[in-house]
Amino acid sequence: MAKEIGNSTELSRRQFVAQSAIYGGTFLAMINLPRPLAVAASHESDSPVTFNPDQWRTVEAITGRIIPADHEPGAIEANCVNFIDKALAHEDASQKPQYNSGLQGVNAASQAQYGKAFADLDESDQDTLLAAMESGSVEGWPEAAGAADAFFETIRAHTIIGFLADPKYGGNQDYAGWKVIGYPGPSHHSGGYTPEQQVGDAPIHPIWEHGEH
Amino acid sequence: MPQKDEYDVCVIGTGAGGGVMIQELTAAGFKVVALERGPKLELTDFLSDDELSVSIRDELFSPGQLETWRPDASASTIQGKINGIAFCVGGTITHWAGWTWRFRPDDFRVLSTEGSVAGASLADWPVDYEEMEPWYERAEWDFGVSGDAGSNPFEGPRSKGYPNPAHPIRETGKYISKGIRELGHTPFPVPLSINSQPYGGRPGCVYGGACGGYGCPIHAKASTYAIHLPRATATGNLDLRSDARVFEIVVGKDGRASGARYFDAAGKEQEVKARQVVVSAGSIGSPHLLQMSQSNLFPDGLANSSGQVGRNLTYHHFPITLSTVDAPVYPFTGVEAGVAMDDFHPSDSSRGFIRGGVITDGNFFVKQPLVYGLAGIAGHPGLKRRWGSDLKRALRDFPNTIQLSAILEDLPMESNRVEIDSEVKDDLGLPVPRITHRQHPNDLAMFQWYEKRMFEIAEASGGKNTWAPESVYRLKDETSAMQGSVHIHGSCRMGDDASKSVVDRWCRSHDVPNLWMVDGSVFPTSGGYNPTLTILANAYRVANYFVEEGKKGAI
Repeated sequence: MAKEIGNSTELSRRQFVAQSAIYGGTFLAMINLPRPLAVAASHESDSPVTFNPDQWRTVEAITGRIIPADHEPGAIEANCVNFIDKALAHEDASQKPQYNSGLQGVNAASQAQYGKAFADLDESDQDTLLAAMESGSVEGWPEAAGAADAFFETIRAHTIIGFLADPKYGGNQDYAGWKVIGYPGPSHHSGGYTPEQQVGDAPIHPIWEHGEH
Repeated sequence: MPQKDEYDVCVIGTGAGGGVMIQELTAAGFKVVALERGPKLELTDFLSDDELSVSIRDELFSPGQLETWRPDASASTIQGKINGIAFCVGGTITHWAGWTWRFRPDDFRVLSTEGSVAGASLADWPVDYEEMEPWYERAEWDFGVSGDAGSNPFEGPRSKGYPNPAHPIRETGKYISKGIRELGHTPFPVPLSINSQPYGGRPGCVYGGACGGYGCPIHAKASTYAIHLPRATATGNLDLRSDARVFEIVVGKDGRASGARYFDAAGKEQEVKARQVVVSAGSIGSPHLLQMSQSNLFPDGLANSSGQVGRNLTYHHFPITLSTVDAPVYPFTGVEAGVAMDDFHPSDSSRGFIRGGVITDGNFFVKQPLVYGLAGIAGHPGLKRRWGSDLKRALRDFPNTIQLSAILEDLPMESNRVEIDSEVKDDLGLPVPRITHRQHPNDLAMFQWYEKRMFEIAEASGGKNTWAPESVYRLKDETSAMQGSVHIHGSCRMGDDASKSVVDRWCRSHDVPNLWMVDGSVFPTSGGYNPTLTILANAYRVANYFVEEGKKGAI
């Protein structure tokens, strides 16, 4: 053990950066980091593995109202639905039943109130229904669909995570979320920041510009 | 070191307290077996700064952690990973943020300074600042603390400065220093166990941002893993066993500890024998292990003739404010804490509470986007609706957000405690720790007073839209209750009176003469600073005594 640590502590910033640059994309594979299961799944496919097509469409529409597009992308453009689909297939599988029942509730209420599926409503009607879900009281929401407010909190949190988690999980597509909020990405693999970068005296290059992620 | 039939010392837990003991005892020639319940992580594991995996889902550091919590004895429990603990070789200090304060002299004499307080179990430490001072210095120089000695006018006297200069003032520090000065107070850099330049064979910090909650992939951040354990391994006197979950300290008919039983990585039961046993499993793990070690001789758990094992658990309280400022402050870069002020720390009962704490620009809620988006923005004044365009605007404030964080001394209470939860078992079938914890009224009054002062500082710093993020840490009223903490102390307090404390001034059990407890669990009171330097310094003090007495054959 002492030997390994002794060698590693000699890493200076320059060596650290150089090592990352040399190994590039294979560096991660070489060092055998624990690999989240949803990452593998999102690499296999960006089409549904958990949701049926109706569920996918409904979830996508909900995420689009939680983080809407404006002059920059929102949750639909960031593919948050794909993040949720992969997370439910793996790490967050315990929440799949809540999605199954909650999505039934959303469309049952939408049909009861508007005669249409949620994804086909206009945005202001979608917002009205989501606000009712958030408050926990939705006209036409079947009891069997579970608590509307609890489902709203789950999908809200999942949308934020899909927007802001590393793109390898299947959301934050093209770093859309990080670009919107002004986050350049994690920096361990690119060697951190200089004191000048920390105070804005030197530019920070986001990871999508230095192409080693 | 090859395995032995009997060791001089068995150390249970390899965190801050255990790490010092392991380093000092192996250096003195004792043969030590160290049992660590978590796995041995590699430096390459620490290269991962994937926030979802490490911070949000906690997939790296705490395999198998399960605890229950309830606010009081009549409430039902919730279960999960309640406290911020790391189960791995090196313990929780592996993913600390390196804030490295000394306690002030009066922090060791709370009962005699304040007198008794209803509902609180105040106590003096059996040691004072003067006795601790050289050991603080030893810990600071082993860890290469970066700071500006003398810059905190409220610190106790020190006989030597810091080994490394303070880190450069970052952008948030410029704003917050201005606010602190404008209100007539004194900003100074938080002392950090993070190299501001190469020191001790370890490189300087590269300011990568993922610090608190993460391992350091280059050992710029000091830790047991980076410092104590490699030194101990190099002596050839250490047998370090990871994935070893101790469930019993074995006691002989003579009433002395003879070793420990544990489950190994394969789930197989093992036993080691040792002439001295040091428990350093942390303020949850240590009392939990003593209580699991029941026997005919010790029906109420080991070393518990006082009935104090598990009691007086302290958590600290953490008021937080966030504010947006008019330009980017790059909160995702650098170390977790920059400037601080300690002007409010001295106790002043005219404020409606006793004791106090330190205020810093510790920015753990704005360092990374998920923590900010999920927790930091809760309560953002722009969130008329918690979703939609309001949410998107609040998320966009991320790079322009400054944070103030206080660390407040909470009063110990006998009813705040760690026990065995016989109704909930962990993955190996062992009963999990059950925590009962609620704040004292003094804690609530202190929290609310500090939060108001922090709003004032934030506004003087140029902060707009200041808010206190809603979280389990925020004490809003009497019904609030903090479920868990990242600062955990008390639970096996030290003292001179065997009827009121678990261990003596040398952290040796009053009941079992060869059983020692060296971690945060022995703190009689919690101080208003991060506890780790005091855990380290106290461990050096105890280790020195252990070695001296051991040489005389007196232990």
